[in-house]
Amino acid sequence: MKKLLYFILLVVTGITVKAQNPSFSPATFTAEDEVTLTIDVTGTGMAGAVEAYIWIFSNPDIGGGADGVTNGNWTNSSNAAKMTAAGTNKWSFKFIGTTMFGQSPAQLKSFGFLVKKKDGSSQSPDYKPYFFDPLIFTPTMLRVFPARVGSDDVVTVNFDKTYGVTINEQRMTPVSATVTVFDETGAQVGSPLTINARSTGTSIWSASFIPSVSFTPGAGRRLNKFRYKFNGTVLDPGGVTTTVSSSETEVVFTTMQ
Amino acid sequence: MCLKIIKTKRMKIILKTSLLVFAAAIFFAACTPVEHKELGAPRNIMESISGTWKLTKAIQVDEDASKKGFPFKELDITTLFPYTNFLLTLNLTNGGPGTFTTTPGSSPRIIKLASGNWTVDNIEYPKVITLTSGAANEKVTLGGYPVGASNALKLKVERKDAGTGKLLISYSYEFAKQ
Repeated sequence: MKKLLYFILLVVTGITVKAQNPSFSPATFTAEDEVTLTIDVTGTGMAGAVEAYIWIFSNPDIGGGADGVTNGNWTNSSNAAKMTAAGTNKWSFKFIGTTMFGQSPAQLKSFGFLVKKKDGSSQSPDYKPYFFDPLIFTPTMLRVFPARVGSDDVVTVNFDKTYGVTINEQRMTPVSATVTVFDETGAQVGSPLTINARSTGTSIWSASFIPSVSFTPGAGRRLNKFRYKFNGTVLDPGGVTTTVSSSETEVVFTTMQ
Repeated sequence: MCLKIIKTKRMKIILKTSLLVFAAAIFFAACTPVEHKELGAPRNIMESISGTWKLTKAIQVDEDASKKGFPFKELDITTLFPYTNFLLTLNLTNGGPGTFTTTPGSSPRIIKLASGNWTVDNIEYPKVITLTSGAANEKVTLGGYPVGASNALKLKVERKDAGTGKLLISYSYEFAKQ
């Protein structure tokens, strides 16, 4: 009777627990840690393949990305990109972020990858983005608080003109922030939202919003990422007030539980 | 002459000793036995939690930044949105957890469920409150019991990365009884 109960428990657990795909070991890792990813390509163009190669890239969709040093050419992947069989349609690959991309921990925010045949004749979809655990705090002109947010969270975007790149960014007095949200297909959701900026430090301005309150995705869609910039004023050489904007940056929502 | 000095010194010592004994006598005479009051009935946490509560404070914490000692760890979001309109009612049934309702007004929905039943992990020393409505449920952690000098209900909601289970954000809410 006891064995039967254990068996039922095992079957129920197997049905209800949805395995993460891909999975990572360890579950969280910095850009300097060795991590093993395992991916199940069932249902993709790589299902049934007898060997697989990884095509890996850093910082997808946020700029400052690099290709993995093991990628080789699309029609001739290097042998260093060959993945290890980990079961039917399952492949694993071990790497260290800083070595793989030749970038510093401060530069490496996230990565993505796909699985392909050596000659590029078949491939899986992109799997991205997966975030490195940051090792150090890097002050930037545009910063989001908290550093990782879901679409239901209070999101505060911040502008610190100390780290402005252009003359306008260094001189502007921010008045508002403009936020544009996109779904998982890359389609814009609704109209851009312009929110008032408030001073929160000697050189810092902030603006807050709740994505799921301000934006409603289409049926069957979800909020996937947003872009934001700050708008403000500067005085031109003639003393006339001119409206300017900062550069824009992109943030991908983290799926929360 | 010499004998007179010795006598004066002896008198001074006797006087000092007498004063000390007198002071000690007054000190100890002032002590009276204190009667310990009755401890009374054990505090009823369920009763103290029940009732209608209004949100008074909301703090957002970047748990990952806190863990790593980064700057910008937390933000008081109470006035950023109309959080103070949010009402939570916890009703008792036979002295134990019963039904609940949430009335957000214009506040963000810090608890998504509108009504249902609530349960606790431990009836005497509850730590986690589970709010259930049909198949949906939400868990909130008790940050402090509204008993004794503190009459605020403190709840904490955690937000974890669905992929890794890592705690990323927490929200600490303080409520005042209505």
